[in-house]
Amino acid sequence: MKKAVLFALCLVFLLTGAIGLQAQDKLKVGFIYVGPIGDMGWTHAHEVARRIVEDTFPWVETVYQESVPEAKVEGVIDRMVRRERCAVVFTTSFGFWEGTVAAAKKYPDTIFAHCSGFMRAPNLATYMADFYQIYYLNGLMAGALTKSNKVGYVGAFPIPEVKRHINAFTMGVREVNPKAEVHVRWIEAWFDPAKAKEATNSLIDAGCDVFAFTEDSDTVVQVAAENRMPVFGHYSPMYNSAPDYVVSGQLVHWENFYLDFLSKVHAGYYTSKNLENVDYWDLLKEGSVEVGAKFGMPVNPKWKSRLGKTYDLVMERIAQMSDFQMVFDPFTGPIYSRKGAVVVPVGVRANYGHLLSLEYAVKGVVGSWPGEPK
Amino acid sequence: MKRVRMRRLKVEKRTNPSAWTVFCISLVSILLAFVVIGFIFLGFGINPLEAYLEIIIETVGNSYGLSQIVWQSIPLLLCGVGLLLAFKTSFWNIGAEGQLLMGATAATWVALFSPLPEPFLIPAAFILGFAGGAVWGLLSTSLRSRFGINEVITTLMMNYIASNIVLYLIHGPWKGETMRGFAYTDQFPESVWLPTIGMSDIHWPTLLLGLFAAVCVFFILNRTRLGYEVKVVGQSPKAARYAGISYFKTIFYVMVISGGLAGLAGAGEVLGVHHMLRHSDQVSLGYGYTAIIVAWLARGNPLIVILTSLLFGAIYVAGDVLQLSFNLPFQIVNVFTGLILFFLISSDTLLKHKLSFRKGE
Repeated sequence: MKKAVLFALCLVFLLTGAIGLQAQDKLKVGFIYVGPIGDMGWTHAHEVARRIVEDTFPWVETVYQESVPEAKVEGVIDRMVRRERCAVVFTTSFGFWEGTVAAAKKYPDTIFAHCSGFMRAPNLATYMADFYQIYYLNGLMAGALTKSNKVGYVGAFPIPEVKRHINAFTMGVREVNPKAEVHVRWIEAWFDPAKAKEATNSLIDAGCDVFAFTEDSDTVVQVAAENRMPVFGHYSPMYNSAPDYVVSGQLVHWENFYLDFLSKVHAGYYTSKNLENVDYWDLLKEGSVEVGAKFGMPVNPKWKSRLGKTYDLVMERIAQMSDFQMVFDPFTGPIYSRKGAVVVPVGVRANYGHLLSLEYAVKGVVGSWPGEPK
Repeated sequence: MKRVRMRRLKVEKRTNPSAWTVFCISLVSILLAFVVIGFIFLGFGINPLEAYLEIIIETVGNSYGLSQIVWQSIPLLLCGVGLLLAFKTSFWNIGAEGQLLMGATAATWVALFSPLPEPFLIPAAFILGFAGGAVWGLLSTSLRSRFGINEVITTLMMNYIASNIVLYLIHGPWKGETMRGFAYTDQFPESVWLPTIGMSDIHWPTLLLGLFAAVCVFFILNRTRLGYEVKVVGQSPKAARYAGISYFKTIFYVMVISGGLAGLAGAGEVLGVHHMLRHSDQVSLGYGYTAIIVAWLARGNPLIVILTSLLFGAIYVAGDVLQLSFNLPFQIVNVFTGLILFFLISSDTLLKHKLSFRKGE
């Protein structure tokens, strides 16, 4: 009996040793996701990028874990570093910051990058690809399409990121159609098709006839299409969900960041000692975000004629914002909050810090706005 | 007609199965569940032996995995012990989740906003956490006693109310100044973080409270008048009334303890794990619901809850291992628990009945 146990133990150690050895040759990279990879938004987009990275760089091997609760992220990192021997770990949600910062301290030789965060360390970088310019472009189109002058927006959480997007969207709407309003409903979830459906129906009841949203399913698209109303997709190409009604949308190329970052790690340019000031804030000009109903289709051809002159305006703005000097940005003053305060003075362009901590609602936004400054 | 000699199954009633029988039957049913799960692994193209080997190495095979198991079992232990007491009274408390959240909320208030001096903060947070959970549980008790409303509905519904209170607080009055507009409270000062054992995440004060609670409830059930009343009420409220036992008084005390323990679990989670109040789905990973199974599996013995909560801690960790090492989808944990439960519940028949073969004609 004793011998058998001893034998089993030896076997266990041999096997674990073998697993450990295999991983040494390639750069092993771990991805930690906040949602299920099968959603149609945030996590799915990161997962698509992960696969592209693995296909592009033969020297990279990846592992991932999905739907990780915020409090468990440190444990997952532990296992990725200790057991899977990951040299680089990406944590892809703001809520992971506490665990990521703690892990970065615990494993000083491992490289970490935290998405949408702001706390950095010598071995911890931050990165974000932001949609506000895309939402602005979608807003221009929505302003041209609404007949009732009421545009509906289903928002996830009332946090600066989503508020920034609704504001940019509204500024676009009002630039083309100064009489139009954007009606907002919050669903308090990143992924909740049932609530998104309810919110869309309530917006329809309120008279809205064009829709945009922040939620990780295509529910809003489906409900809008059932009611024969135009809609803008979010995060994933949603053209196929309703080819007749998806006008455009927000698309992301996370691989743009991952490929850049990992190639610099591979080249020895980024190490676990020099990431203190590495912060990616990717917009149109970096090529990490794209406007479109699907990749390569900025505006659904079925809707091009309905847009009229706005189509040319959209194209012009895309060119201006894609310019590496970024000759146009929607967050340029004067911008007034709906309470009447000047939030961005004339001629000033809102900086990064302003955009990251933005709490106000611009003129034209209708609906509850938790945390609105007085 | 030709007579066939065959063996027939004989089913007899079994009264009071011994602890050993219960243990063996439960173990066999869990193992059977593992066999079925093995086929799921095969479906994913994974060698089940390899998968189980990896699970064993990463759960009970090293100190790190063990600490993860214990860490996850702490809230399950506290909630489970409380629920067991409620279930013994046949008061079907489905509301541990909400009671846990209210405990977490009360503890957060102490940690962030109370004027108490530092050394009293942690004890006060636990006491208020207990009170928060108890009050939340008692609301359902009073609805039951006043209007006769079924507690399954009220305790369940109170969970959603508690969850929305947490959401309101983190989006509204308690929203952290330092969180860049994200919906979290500020981080607690480090003086109210619970100490952990060594490098692990185990916040041992909560663990001790959990073990202490299990022993206390065991003592209450077996050595006190309340325990006697609990058993009588649980088995027959009518008989209890004839015996002069007040139903409402009994469920009042039971729910103070049951809700209070869930509240302690919540306080322990925010003080020991999160160090802040965050989205209710993140504060509790469904611990209040999982604890129902944990309590049920303990079959009426609060000390057994220590084992069953560890079992579910291990299942959680095993799920993590499977996801990372074999790229299985995250739902695998639910499939796991579902199958184990399926077999354990089915085995109940075996506990109540004895099967034997006899020669028939």
